Amino acid sequence: MSEYALEVRDLRKEYRTRRGLVRAVDGVSFAVRPGEVVGLLGANGAGKTTTLKCLCTLIRPTSGTLRVMGQDAMAHPHRALPRIAAVLEGNRNIYWQLSPRENLEFFAGIQGLPVRAVRPQIHALLDFFRLDAKSDTPARMLSRGMQQKLAIACALVKQTDVVLLDEPTLGLDVQTSFELRGILRQIASGGERTVMLSSHDLAVVQALCDRVIIIHAGRVVTDERVGTLLELFRPRGYRVRLDGALKEPQRRRLEALFPAVTARAEADGGSTVDVEMHEPQTMYDLVDALRQDGAAVRSVERRSRSLEEVFLSLTEQGLAA
Amino acid sequence: MNTMDAGAALQRPIAAPQLPAPAAAVPAYVLAAGTRVQPRTGVAGALSVMGAMLRMSVIEAKRYYFNSLVRLVSLYAFFFVVFMGAWTTMGDNPTFGASLSGIVVGLMVWMLAMRAYSDHSNRLNMEATQGTLEQLAMSPIGLARVLVYNMAAMMFAQMGFMFVFLVLMMATTRQWLHLDVLSLVPLLILTMLGVHGMGMAMGGLALVFKRVAATVGIFQYVFLMLIAVPIDKVPVLKFLPLSWGALLIRRVMVDGTSILRLPPGDVLFLAANSLAYFAVGMLIFKMCERAARNRGMLGHY
Repeated sequence: MSEYALEVRDLRKEYRTRRGLVRAVDGVSFAVRPGEVVGLLGANGAGKTTTLKCLCTLIRPTSGTLRVMGQDAMAHPHRALPRIAAVLEGNRNIYWQLSPRENLEFFAGIQGLPVRAVRPQIHALLDFFRLDAKSDTPARMLSRGMQQKLAIACALVKQTDVVLLDEPTLGLDVQTSFELRGILRQIASGGERTVMLSSHDLAVVQALCDRVIIIHAGRVVTDERVGTLLELFRPRGYRVRLDGALKEPQRRRLEALFPAVTARAEADGGSTVDVEMHEPQTMYDLVDALRQDGAAVRSVERRSRSLEEVFLSLTEQGLAA
Repeated sequence: MNTMDAGAALQRPIAAPQLPAPAAAVPAYVLAAGTRVQPRTGVAGALSVMGAMLRMSVIEAKRYYFNSLVRLVSLYAFFFVVFMGAWTTMGDNPTFGASLSGIVVGLMVWMLAMRAYSDHSNRLNMEATQGTLEQLAMSPIGLARVLVYNMAAMMFAQMGFMFVFLVLMMATTRQWLHLDVLSLVPLLILTMLGVHGMGMAMGGLALVFKRVAATVGIFQYVFLMLIAVPIDKVPVLKFLPLSWGALLIRRVMVDGTSILRLPPGDVLFLAANSLAYFAVGMLIFKMCERAARNRGMLGHY
């Protein structure tokens, strides 16, 4: 039994085009432990989908090593493929002419699973994905959200250890996206299936993933736990709202105390002061400094960065490099 | 909200979303990794895949019954035009009955061959357009074997359909042919195997070039020619695909010869010929599949 569910070493994929050699993936390496839920982030054309398709053998890499549950996916795809399922085109990954039940039976069948034996599981999946009421309706008549859920159920019916999801919430309305996130969270929280998902919806990644790998221009920019990443990039900034305007001596005092201070007057006569500090306890110094000059503090807010801001910082660094 | 408030709101920390719980309790099956039901391997696995493919075709035929009906009617109309054409030009000829039997058998073989040839590329194009081709390509048995099992399942379904159609043709022409099923089925399987090889090659080319439907137009004439070639006058023509099989089928259906009465060498030659064409077709398919995976264009359409 391998230590890793997914192991990618120095993955490269080059395409020859009329304009020359294009490197879609340029030396990507990462490893995912069983039960982990990992997000794959990157802008359009960064190499996310190519990496996912290489993992499930749909694209043959130029070089590198790919292992799925210890099985070499390039040398022995027939050994790796029973361990991995993927939803790569969302609601297009299902047969629209078949009903949800028929789709699930079909995908179980081509996996070599005896349909009669997996019927209880199919029933459980229909129930879990709230598709039971529409189980016999052709998929073309379902909403996009239901089709998307069915595509994920079809990946799960294959009973694989690893599930890859490419943009699972793409094109869904806010409510359905939220519902699907809840379902994915439940699957992820089981801790047994290894899930790797790519998404542009950073809220999805932040809500679901233990770890995030950011790819930029075919290379891994960062591979870190979501919490650590947010912590690393948190500026520890505070926003203080004052009743009156910030006076010049107050500003000078603050600038002497803190590395970065920005202040602006508000329309209601008050002012807002943004302060960045390295040590949270210096917050008391800030309040003391303001109180010395008799400023009335209306509110103090801690500012934290979202994964979106972190992602942009990292990819901008990648661009600069 | 004024501009400043909006700016301030954007700076506010993003709270972790409270995700809704699904309607049903999470079944252990959904969460669990690994295999709970053992996948079948070998013959049982092949039967499982064939069953899945056949079920889907039956469901499609029933769900889109109008299309199935129109297909049967248009085939019959095509046959009727051929029959009427032959009758008006050769109706007075004393050998017309024998010729008509040949036409009926030739038409049946031609129709089966056209399906066998175009099925793979049509299927691959349809799957790519739908977005399901990559799912089939991820089957542990591989895309080529999925297509072969589909071919095996569909071959029986098409033969069943053709027998119904054959009875219709015989009733129209009042030429009752010998329907020795035990002789016909093995001969049809062997004959169509070679054509499926050509279809697999074309399916492979469809993976790389995407649109190959134009070749179907050419091959409908090629198949007519292959069925009609005079092997008795130019024996070397028996090395062509389809020709030798069509001749043996005519011997069974028109002359009433049982497969057991056919020279074993003739049947063995048919098997070898068809297997050779099938093997070459598979090789071309595999090469094209590899090229499509290398170019990352398997799911393109």
